[in-house]
Amino acid sequence: MSVCKDCKSFFPFDDNPQKGDCVRKVTDAKQTYFTAKPTDAAHDATQCKFMQKK
Amino acid sequence: MKCINCQYEDSPKNFRYLYNARIDASISMRQCPKCMSTIAVDELTGEVQQIVGPGEAPWGKSAGVESLADDYQKAA
Amino acid sequence: MSEPQKKTVDIEKLVDRQEWWWVAEKMRSKRLDYLRKAVWKKGALGGNYAPGIKVDMEYPVLFTDMWRFWKFDPAIMRRAKAIAHVLDNISIFITDKAQLVGYMGSFPHTILWRVDGASIVNEELYNEPGIHEDPEADNLEKVAEINAYWAGQTAVDKVARVLDPEDAVKFLSGAIGWGAPTSAYGYSGKDYEYYMTGKRAFEDIIEEIDKNIEDAEDKTIGVPGPDIIPFYDKIQNWEAMKLVLEACIRYANRYARLARIVAQHFETDEDRKVDLEKVAQTCEQVPARPPRNLHESLQYDLFIQILARFEAHEGAWPARPDYYHGPYFDKDVNVEKNITREEAIDLIGEFMIRAYEVGGFAPRWAREGLQGITGTWVWTLGGVKPDGSDACNDMTIAMLQAARLVRVANPTFGFRWHPRVSDEVMREVFECIRQGLGYPSMRNDPVLIANAMHWHGHPIEEARLWLHQACMSPCPPTKNGFQPMRMASATANCAKIIEYTLHNGYDYVVNMQMGPKSGDPTTFQNFEEFFGAWVQQMEWLFSTLVRTVNLARSKDPEFYGRPFLSGISERAVESGLDAVSPEGDRGNCWITAFTWVENIDSLAAIKKLIYDDKKYTMAQLIDSLRNNWEGEERMRLDFVRHAPKWGNDDDYVDDIMLRCLREAARFSKVIKCPSGNNWPILPENVSANIHYANIVGALPNGRRLGDALYDGGISPGPGLDKKGPTAVLKSCAKIDHITDGRAFLLNQRLSPNQAAGEKGYQLWKAYIKTWADLGIDHVQFNMVSDKTLRAAQKDPDDYSEVIVRVAGYSAHFVDISRKTQDNIIQRTVQGV
Repeated sequence: MSVCKDCKSFFPFDDNPQKGDCVRKVTDAKQTYFTAKPTDAAHDATQCKFMQKK
Repeated sequence: MKCINCQYEDSPKNFRYLYNARIDASISMRQCPKCMSTIAVDELTGEVQQIVGPGEAPWGKSAGVESLADDYQKAA
Repeated sequence: MSEPQKKTVDIEKLVDRQEWWWVAEKMRSKRLDYLRKAVWKKGALGGNYAPGIKVDMEYPVLFTDMWRFWKFDPAIMRRAKAIAHVLDNISIFITDKAQLVGYMGSFPHTILWRVDGASIVNEELYNEPGIHEDPEADNLEKVAEINAYWAGQTAVDKVARVLDPEDAVKFLSGAIGWGAPTSAYGYSGKDYEYYMTGKRAFEDIIEEIDKNIEDAEDKTIGVPGPDIIPFYDKIQNWEAMKLVLEACIRYANRYARLARIVAQHFETDEDRKVDLEKVAQTCEQVPARPPRNLHESLQYDLFIQILARFEAHEGAWPARPDYYHGPYFDKDVNVEKNITREEAIDLIGEFMIRAYEVGGFAPRWAREGLQGITGTWVWTLGGVKPDGSDACNDMTIAMLQAARLVRVANPTFGFRWHPRVSDEVMREVFECIRQGLGYPSMRNDPVLIANAMHWHGHPIEEARLWLHQACMSPCPPTKNGFQPMRMASATANCAKIIEYTLHNGYDYVVNMQMGPKSGDPTTFQNFEEFFGAWVQQMEWLFSTLVRTVNLARSKDPEFYGRPFLSGISERAVESGLDAVSPEGDRGNCWITAFTWVENIDSLAAIKKLIYDDKKYTMAQLIDSLRNNWEGEERMRLDFVRHAPKWGNDDDYVDDIMLRCLREAARFSKVIKCPSGNNWPILPENVSANIHYANIVGALPNGRRLGDALYDGGISPGPGLDKKGPTAVLKSCAKIDHITDGRAFLLNQRLSPNQAAGEKGYQLWKAYIKTWADLGIDHVQFNMVSDKTLRAAQKDPDDYSEVIVRVAGYSAHFVDISRKTQDNIIQRTVQGV
């Protein structure tokens, strides 16, 4: 099973590597932006369409 | 009242009143119930003067220093 | 020809053609141009959201989950924990090229949905087409589930259960006024003197709160008695404030971390990496600690506005940016020369763009009444300091210059004019108006300072600090002066006063008995009897709306709770009470009087044609009005053209205006706010004149059901001011702008051809001198030709940055409905 910590977008917290941010570059109809969402390292990523293995 | 777009004819009250072109003149905008066009109407005579499309106005210019609407001058 | 030379020639041509929106595009930096075009517009286009705008579903799910979890906590603590959970877990983003960050939504195209404010708004959101992300069916299911949870327990639900049923039904009819009676909606002033003067920021406030909790806890384990009872709740309130402020600091640090991740792992441009490091350092400094430079000061201000919007809708943005950010501008640009003036203006331009980007889901009546914008962000510039000296500074000028570069419809500016404003500043103000921004509005500072002291008893040093609460009303940003809950329900559709007078209190549009039975007007013998009935309807209308507002305000700490607003307000931090509690508030209430002048013109027409000239009977008039003037065009034109109209310096009708205002002013001192203070009226409209067009029936001023009402405040009806701009000012000057009401909105439309060159400036300056000498408190200008506006109707894509002054706010012309557009074009162009 793929989990978030296997993904290129996952950046663990320094003080707690079991959690981190999912950081992605997004381009929509108006702008490019960088987004961050907190997630667990062990969160199931099999259904995630943005998953990119490290 | 007769729509100049589709020629539909009916009593004025069946042409839905939208809003006035200006409060102090007899021109208003109504809607033809058949073709749904916005039409400019002289409320005194019931005459349909024009279809009103984007960017168009039935009274030409604003009130005030850039001169009065033609119909107001006529009526005055 | 070189590129710079070609650009200069291009700009000159555009200036000649007065195509200011293209001038701005050429003159602003590439970065600012990108950011300006990158914005997802949240203002509704004629009432509907733009394609691509979607409801943010992260906030409602995160908030509701945590709210459910802490179900045994008091409301304020429950809210604090839910907000903290959102701030720790919601997606955040940094726009490419941005130096300022923060948004109350997970992505740039999302609008925040406040789930706990009003069930009726939640139902509207479910049914609103086009705003639910794909897969729509799944998201609608989630919305339905959230709605089902909140049904019955939103703030408005709770107020409605205790409100008098008759008041509730009449208020909810939508005929007599606006608003949702809760601090979840409406907007709050801010105690800028507490947190924006460099003396403290969040860590300092947390220390103060800790001390207060410690002192209180000593008492609660001390000698028992009634004195210690209030401290139990106060401790909860303080804990809630602290919890939220700590979450806010963590939220800012999330941006710092993201900025560094982007710089290290995504960004390849070295200059951008430097910018991102600056963003990170800024977000680590504020809001935890006071700002040290302009960038930090602007970021601090932005964070606070965003954080307030995680707690409540905040439909306005009271601010005085030149006064509070000016010292940092001066330090950075003039003293230490850390940044150039151009870099500072670029940053200020971005600050305005960030503000423009902000918006949450609003109910349809708000979208129709505030077409094109998400709320009235009227920022206050100029004015005086507490000692009375001129407060204009370099930042005042920089703000006006930045505004012309970015051309956002929101924020707009209200300029506090006083006799010592320099010519340099006045020229910059005029340039904004001349370039068709529709702002700044001009405010007569000496008059409004006296007004604030008269109505609400603010001491002069506080009154001099005033800023716009929303579009018009002055409010000191001080401990006891700021207004924490301006509920829009004290907003009256005043055209109903004359309508109900004519129909014995019956509303034929919504088909119910609304007002009191003030008498069958066909039996009135003279105008005085008719006017007496008008006063009765006026008192009823204002009382009904104010009762609702007063109840909601008093109950708000129990029914809602504002831990964040409390944490940045001195009297809340000191007292341990919710900021919304009326205790300690000097009161700063007012009733926004929409559709006011229809009363005046209608009363004048009745007096002239029925009672003085006896040309028509009251029965004939009422019959024609019931039939919407159908088949009675000659009679209707008679009532328009042959009865005096407001704005022509005609005492016949102007005296009626004064009578009506003074009856309202008298009554304003009878009805009281929860702090025991007055409720003066403030005539203005936003775009409610369009919203109410199909709700107000035919009237004796000549309108039909469906016609746009007049554009607002004390502005004459469009095309009905026939005697020129001086006559308009003379009419308005008969009003006492200190004692006759809270403030009075005046729209004037000027010809762009007259505004050209030095001559244009001198003409306008002479106009302003006359306006000021006459003691009028407000005026705002549209300076754009019919030709441009008609062209924009035809080809909206080519005119996307044309701005018009709607009423108390500006909007992009292409974002407002056709009817509103026509109404603006109908307004008389004055020659100065």
